[in-house]
Amino acid sequence: MARLELDDITKHFDDDGETIVAVDDASIDIDDGEFLVLVGPSGCGKSTTLRMIAGLETITEGELRIGGRRVNEAKPRDRDIAMVFQSYALYPHMTVRENMSFGLEESTDLSEAEITERVESATDTMGISDLLDRKPSELSGGQQQRVALGRAIVREPEVFLMDEPLSNLDAKLRAQMRTELQRLQEDLDTTTVYVTHDQTEAMTMGDRIAILNDGILQQVATPLEAYHAPANQFVAGFIGEPSMNFFDVDLEGDSVVGDGLDYPVSDDVRAKLDTDALVLGIRPQDIELVDAVESGHDVAVTVDVVEPMGDENNVYLTFSDTAGNETFIANVDGRTLVDEGDDIVARIPEEAVHFFDRRSGEALRNREFDGDADVDLSL
Amino acid sequence: MTDTNTSSGRSWRSTALYAVLVLLVVFYLLPLWTGLMTSIKADVLATAPFLPPAPAGFTNIHWTRAINALAGGLVNSLILAIPATILSALLGSMAAYGLTTLDWRHQVPILMLFIAGIFIPYQAVLIPLSKFWASVVPVSDLVGYVGLAGWVGDLIGLILSHVAYGIPICTLLFRTYYKDFNGEMIEAARIDGATTHTIYRRIILPLSVPMFAVTLIYQFTQVWNDLLFALVLVGPGAGAPVTVPLSQLGASLSEVGFGIRMAGAFVAALPTIIVYVLFGDQFAEGVST
Repeated sequence: MARLELDDITKHFDDDGETIVAVDDASIDIDDGEFLVLVGPSGCGKSTTLRMIAGLETITEGELRIGGRRVNEAKPRDRDIAMVFQSYALYPHMTVRENMSFGLEESTDLSEAEITERVESATDTMGISDLLDRKPSELSGGQQQRVALGRAIVREPEVFLMDEPLSNLDAKLRAQMRTELQRLQEDLDTTTVYVTHDQTEAMTMGDRIAILNDGILQQVATPLEAYHAPANQFVAGFIGEPSMNFFDVDLEGDSVVGDGLDYPVSDDVRAKLDTDALVLGIRPQDIELVDAVESGHDVAVTVDVVEPMGDENNVYLTFSDTAGNETFIANVDGRTLVDEGDDIVARIPEEAVHFFDRRSGEALRNREFDGDADVDLSL
Repeated sequence: MTDTNTSSGRSWRSTALYAVLVLLVVFYLLPLWTGLMTSIKADVLATAPFLPPAPAGFTNIHWTRAINALAGGLVNSLILAIPATILSALLGSMAAYGLTTLDWRHQVPILMLFIAGIFIPYQAVLIPLSKFWASVVPVSDLVGYVGLAGWVGDLIGLILSHVAYGIPICTLLFRTYYKDFNGEMIEAARIDGATTHTIYRRIILPLSVPMFAVTLIYQFTQVWNDLLFALVLVGPGAGAPVTVPLSQLGASLSEVGFGIRMAGAFVAALPTIIVYVLFGDQFAEGVST
């Protein structure tokens, strides 16, 4: 078990003489036994970062340390890591047993008996003991996934690297494996870096999540911090489902004014806004639907579309006062009955409102949230 | 009504299909059949070529003579074709692994050289090649130092020439195959601690069996059937591969020995047919991927 440190890691790719920056100056310290999720949209550099840790890509600049030891130049085999791939990458001509012993045979001096013992204990952990003599082609996707994980844990490495390991599974199995993986990681207490584009996986699995966009690290934080106190507009929009609603607004006196919105702000909030060009953000879950306008924080809206999800409804709304048909989403209880075309009122509580600098995207004011205290998060 | 229509339509179509297939079978087998009939007739001109001989006209003299004349050549051809085939397939597979699965600079120009090698005609290199084996690397003299006859050296030269000629096409075939391999699988092996060498031996090689069947069949037939290199680099004599005596079989001033030529052709072709039968299943798997 070891601490994994990324120190100003940069990766340049050369594409026909042009330099493409895939990862720019990323610094993350991952504690011993920590589960870090690298998340971001396609092409954000998260896989490249993982592959640099694995030693499958060279590091252009910066230093990578595993357990305090610089490993920039070390071959993958000398880094004491194990990796789980999206395609599982099992060896098709080998049985499950051979697949799992391969790494031990190639990288350790263990005797045959010791290898057998370790493979069998790993298959016990993964619940695949009865599959030992099957070939990968005879296994279902979920079973192949377990073999791929088993192949990684049998090595007992310092660091687990996982590249979207659950994305080839169907939704139900994915949810099940997600929990199982978390439990496994807690039991083994092995430092883990997990790459995904799925923000649900990021939120539910990680001790901390690192959000990447365009090769630049946006924020490294606990899932709740990233959700309630995003560092910038990108993180705010990426984390959370459905995405946060954004409105371009300008600070005018005691209010922020935008298309269809004239929203009074308190002095406390105003003090934090050091520019006039702003973006107001509000999570769909924080919008309440009420019958009548009672304060400046209430806006008359028209229901555009209702998406019933059973336990909750996603209600698409447009401002009644403007001709524009820009919609935003409110996420309300499933028993709230609204119909398309209804004229209602949306209440945007000030304590839940985020403000971002429109040019830099930087968060100027986040919703009231104390990450250390036991706050009621069911607001 | 509809059912009857479709089923009669289907039966009509399958009848047509089988008729075409039978015609094709006849088309392909007729030359073989005619050759076989000719080889067992005492008087080849007695009946039409594709008719079997009358019981009195049957003979095995052509076959015994052909086997006697070609026996030495068959052995030489096996000594030639087996190592030449295995070597070019193995080296082709290694080259393809290095050029496809591994990643290093300047792969493309080297690959281009390999591809260009496929298109060099035999005739263009005949004279330089015979000069090369005669004066630059005189194998027939060199083997003399270890007490072997000169024709053994000639045969070694022929083997190496065929290996060199076979590597480009084998490389190309293996490359096409390796390109479809899962790159993550190779990376998983690297992380598992396998070296470049062990990845080839424990992952690539076992997965290459179907493609080896393709290259072995192709290359074996190619080397076995070659007459030009055999004639120029070894020539008639103790070391001659079977194609050389076959070309001289049944030639005389008085008559054309159709019977013995046909028998000889069957004898000489038999090993290639055996190879097809042995590797047929894997061959089909290899070409379908």
